[in-house]
Amino acid sequence: MANSEAVATPGVLLTADGTPLKVSLQKSLRRSKLRAMLLVLPPLLFLVFLFVLPIGNMLLRSIDDSLVNQVLPTTFKEFKAWDKTTDPPESLYAAFYTDITRTLEEDKLLVGKAGVRMNYDKPGWRSLIKISARKFKKVEGPPYKEAMIEIDKRWGEKEWWLSLGAMKDERTLGYFLNAVDKKYDFDKNIISVDENRKVYNLLWYRTLLVSFIVTIACLVLAYPVSYLLATLPMRFSNLLMICVLMPFWTSLLVRIVAWMIMLQQQGVVNDTLVGLGILDTENRLAMMYNFNGTVIVMTQILLPFMILPIYSVMKTIPPSFMRAAQNLGATPTLAFLRVYMPQTIPGVGAGCILVFIVAIGYYITPELVGGKDGRLIGNMVAYHMQRTLNWGLAAAMGTILLAAILILYWAYDKIVGVDNMKMG
Amino acid sequence: MQTVIKQTLLASALAAASVAVQADVNVVSWGGAYTASQQKAYADTWEGGKVNFVNYNGGLGEIRTQVESGTVTWDVVDVLPSEARVGCDEGLFEELDRSIFAPAPDGTPMDDDLMVPLPNDCVVPQIWWSYVPFYEEGTFSGDQPTTIADFFDIEKFPGKRGIHTWPNALIEMALVADGVAIADVYDVMSTEEGIDRAFATLDKIKDHSVFWSSGSKPLELVKSGEVAMSLAYNGRIGAAVLSEGEKFVTVWDGQVLEEEWLVLVKGAPNREEALDFLVHATATEQQAGQARHINYGPMRVSAFAVIEEGEPWFHNGKNIMEHMPNRPAVMERSVVANPEWWADYGDSVSERYTAWMGQ
Repeated sequence: MANSEAVATPGVLLTADGTPLKVSLQKSLRRSKLRAMLLVLPPLLFLVFLFVLPIGNMLLRSIDDSLVNQVLPTTFKEFKAWDKTTDPPESLYAAFYTDITRTLEEDKLLVGKAGVRMNYDKPGWRSLIKISARKFKKVEGPPYKEAMIEIDKRWGEKEWWLSLGAMKDERTLGYFLNAVDKKYDFDKNIISVDENRKVYNLLWYRTLLVSFIVTIACLVLAYPVSYLLATLPMRFSNLLMICVLMPFWTSLLVRIVAWMIMLQQQGVVNDTLVGLGILDTENRLAMMYNFNGTVIVMTQILLPFMILPIYSVMKTIPPSFMRAAQNLGATPTLAFLRVYMPQTIPGVGAGCILVFIVAIGYYITPELVGGKDGRLIGNMVAYHMQRTLNWGLAAAMGTILLAAILILYWAYDKIVGVDNMKMG
Repeated sequence: MQTVIKQTLLASALAAASVAVQADVNVVSWGGAYTASQQKAYADTWEGGKVNFVNYNGGLGEIRTQVESGTVTWDVVDVLPSEARVGCDEGLFEELDRSIFAPAPDGTPMDDDLMVPLPNDCVVPQIWWSYVPFYEEGTFSGDQPTTIADFFDIEKFPGKRGIHTWPNALIEMALVADGVAIADVYDVMSTEEGIDRAFATLDKIKDHSVFWSSGSKPLELVKSGEVAMSLAYNGRIGAAVLSEGEKFVTVWDGQVLEEEWLVLVKGAPNREEALDFLVHATATEQQAGQARHINYGPMRVSAFAVIEEGEPWFHNGKNIMEHMPNRPAVMERSVVANPEWWADYGDSVSERYTAWMGQ
């Protein structure tokens, strides 16, 4: 068949077995493409299962509020009918009662879970739901209103019913609001939380501030070191390289503990200063378990992430460029500023981005040395993941962090250009 | 269809897990001297199998991940009071058949042999422990601190204070120090003004505070002189005094007692063995035996009686009773933490506390 076709259209090249060359070529290309695909399949699957899926799951969790709606569908219907200025009507009580008793029969656990979720919006819901669920069996209604108030007097207070307003939709931005010290009122207007409970905005600010200071400090410390590394004769630079890498290979915890010993108020640095008479023993410096501690320790830990990219870029700059610039009349300073430094920008950019991104999500160091005012948003994410089980809030904070990093990357691309970046 | 697949996966995962660990029971606890005491008192005396101890840092995050993904590897977990409640509400723990547990020697059923009311059917008794202030002998000349109010009094007892980075117990202590009667603490805490009052008291020591978050830290802080007084877990102080001969003095006033429970994770891979282990571990004899190795108070009344009669009870021949947080002599001046309150208001008070710390 193929043969007769080929004969019918003269001018088409044929292979030995008579198939057109184009087809045969495509076939073999497809095979090699397929083989290439198979090779990238493991990392692709790895990415999908360990990166795309969890992050997608996190994004979903940060806006998901279906659980409460699954437990209290009729209650929310009645809630919408209620005018919110009068006392909650009997129909609302009845709807709540039926919702809870129905869910108790279907899946007892959902009630407990819903209670835990509702407690995020108004502390006290958990026990209110728990007590009610236990005692609803004995309620002989209707009417339910009096019976429920009998069980717990909170049922007579309007504020509890009003707080349902913030949970009435399947999708919510409540967790994101919570992450920036805002919340919904019963009408889903966005309002600020109480002044003395504002904590997240401060932490966001502090996280950015620490990341920024650490990045700058790393840059200032790393640049001369990298320059030395790149320009010293081999035997010295090797030794220096080992000095840079040694801490990098040392356990994180060991380094943190070492800093604690150095910097605490009864530590080596303070003892030395007091011993030399520079400080009074009353005025020992507070360099640990606070903001300073976090900055100092994080700078030291992240320093190699700055040194290595800058070094690898500096290594490729021929020394003859500087000599040429000076030959042409530039002073050493001018030659450095105009010829050498611009060429190191790709390394500096890579180092800064690397350090900043690692710093912004840092967790273990602030946890150990942060004390009262050196803890960052990463610690809050961990706290809500592990302690309060408020995964929605943790997910919202994670999403904001992710967005911040993407924006930063985008800004970097606009200003410096990502193609320019050299990781080493 | 989806549930069928899910269940099949779950079943195969469980089968694989139980084959892999050959029915050793995985017990998750806090590590250090505490796990060691459980090892000696519960695991070494148990003939039903081998126990693998796993350390964790508390919280329900890991357990929830295991239960939700259907790949449970933990069997028994040692949990704090509010986790014991929230975990049971969330269905992360199995509700246990209460009839299988051993009654006290006098025949009292286990659930009536407890020092606190049983919060739910998921938990079985472990210990009572407390947050308590302490200092090193010789820190203060003249008068020595004897009340919780002294802990908050920087003028009378100068020097830094070590406090933890979460609000539990601190709110209660601040109120007691401010003159609230111990019986009224949780009533006062349930009002906005009460919380304000607690924070006003905390303000007095804030600028003199060093914050700790791991249990060994307060001892280092006090030992190194970094702080003059610190709050700590009573067991840590006791262990240092009883086993290492440290000269720490505990201020037995206004301490806050917390419960500790054992639970069985839902879908535990070695359920049968784990249940057998729990029955063994919660028996009066084992509960009392644990106090040979650590000065945490057993939750069972009958075990407490055994220790009292058996003094000197500690394994190196020292008396343990004076280090027990729930001995009758100090109970009158102790706050028994109300985990229901903390399960409800813990998150919101924590937010405020975190804000307060960072300001």
